[in-house]
Amino acid sequence: MLENIDNILQDLFRLFRLLGIGALTSLKIFFLTLIFSMPLGLAVAFGRMSKNKLINSIVRFFILVMRGTPLILQIMFIYYAPSFMLPEGMKINIDRFVAAIIAFSLNYSAYFAEIYRGGIESISQGQYEAAAVLGFTKVQTFFKIIVPQVIKRILPSISNEVITLVKDTALVTTLGISELYRAAKNEAARVFSTVPLFVAGLFYLFMNSIVTKIFDKIEKKLSYYR
Amino acid sequence: MDNIPMLEVRGLCKNFETNEVLSGVSFNIEKGEVVAVIGPSGSGKSTMLRCINLLERIDGGSISIAGDMMVHTNNNKKVVYAQKSQLRKIRLRLGMVFQSFNLFPHFSVTQNITEAQIHVAKKDPRNAAETANELLKKVGLSDKADAYPYQLSGGQCQRVAIARALAMNPDILFFDEPTSALDPELTAEVLKVIQDLAAEHMTMVVVTHEMGFARDVADRVIFMDKGLIVEEGKPANIFSNPQNGRTKAFLKSIF
Repeated sequence: MLENIDNILQDLFRLFRLLGIGALTSLKIFFLTLIFSMPLGLAVAFGRMSKNKLINSIVRFFILVMRGTPLILQIMFIYYAPSFMLPEGMKINIDRFVAAIIAFSLNYSAYFAEIYRGGIESISQGQYEAAAVLGFTKVQTFFKIIVPQVIKRILPSISNEVITLVKDTALVTTLGISELYRAAKNEAARVFSTVPLFVAGLFYLFMNSIVTKIFDKIEKKLSYYR
Repeated sequence: MDNIPMLEVRGLCKNFETNEVLSGVSFNIEKGEVVAVIGPSGSGKSTMLRCINLLERIDGGSISIAGDMMVHTNNNKKVVYAQKSQLRKIRLRLGMVFQSFNLFPHFSVTQNITEAQIHVAKKDPRNAAETANELLKKVGLSDKADAYPYQLSGGQCQRVAIARALAMNPDILFFDEPTSALDPELTAEVLKVIQDLAAEHMTMVVVTHEMGFARDVADRVIFMDKGLIVEEGKPANIFSNPQNGRTKAFLKSIF
């Protein structure tokens, strides 16, 4: 009997280790995407709010395509498109992982841009005017007066995107990159069991509970005013 | 001694789309004067204040502060503003208090008052804090130094806003309907602060619907209607003996 339990525990330990390695890749995608897409999203937001008609229309089109088409297709497009665009015979090899990060960053930048824009536009004109008459420059006004207020407002929306991102990392499976989901799927097929998939679910849940906790902490810190 | 007016406005014109909100407003403000601007809604009072404080771009006329030209219209009917650096200097001489206070919600009362001192006037933080303390004492809110705007009543918020504007040591203080968003109880405490400032000979322009205040505190009253100054003069004259028909009609509708 003890031998059976020992086997089960060993199998579980193996499973956790296997999925853990996959989860590391998921986390790599997660962090890299955030690092690129969050600043890029600010640039896109400014473009979207620009009074310049050309910039404005280009950016609006970008946001439309990024939000309007499935990320899974975008990943494949970024990976295969360069080869299609080059003349016959020439081949370009983008690293699968790089293609995935590019696709993720562009996609999420569009969502973050609209969240930023919503936050910025929700700040009343009075704040800008009060800062102006006090003599603050536009840059000072933006970073000292506007941004702190925007951050507090957009926190729930940002947490939505970040949590979704944790789960979206599974989409890179289309390029054959092995992350948590693919590892679980392969293992489930190998041992004819759904347990690995269930455990993968636990992994995602665990990661997102950390994300949720962090956002709760930040929200608490910002609750010193209303 | 050459007495240059603190504020000189000539032929001020402002249009919003096709709507002519200011049709050629001209007046002076002397140093130490308290001028109340009264008139019906839509008469252009607030717009005029906003134009002087560089919150709107004018469409014609000229504005100068203590002889320094802020904006003028040249012979080709083109509106020309002073250089950015000049405008920045002029801006520091003007202060404004808004109807909706516009306090910075993420800063404490003290921080609201010190922030511009430190980052615009480049004052030492300790000096800025001292100034803030004195001003809070002046407006009667020393005990709220560390409170946040959301914890204050409207009257308290407005008094903080006045302290915030005073912290920058302006030559002229503008008030855009400072008590219109307050109930009568809170209105009194704000008017008292403005009255104290008047006693200290602070140059002020107050757009207001508080006729009692205009009558008792102002040195001069300007009545505006449909984008023009209809009548101006000492409060006693305007309120007791208005000359113009429109002034009479407006005052009758109030009293």
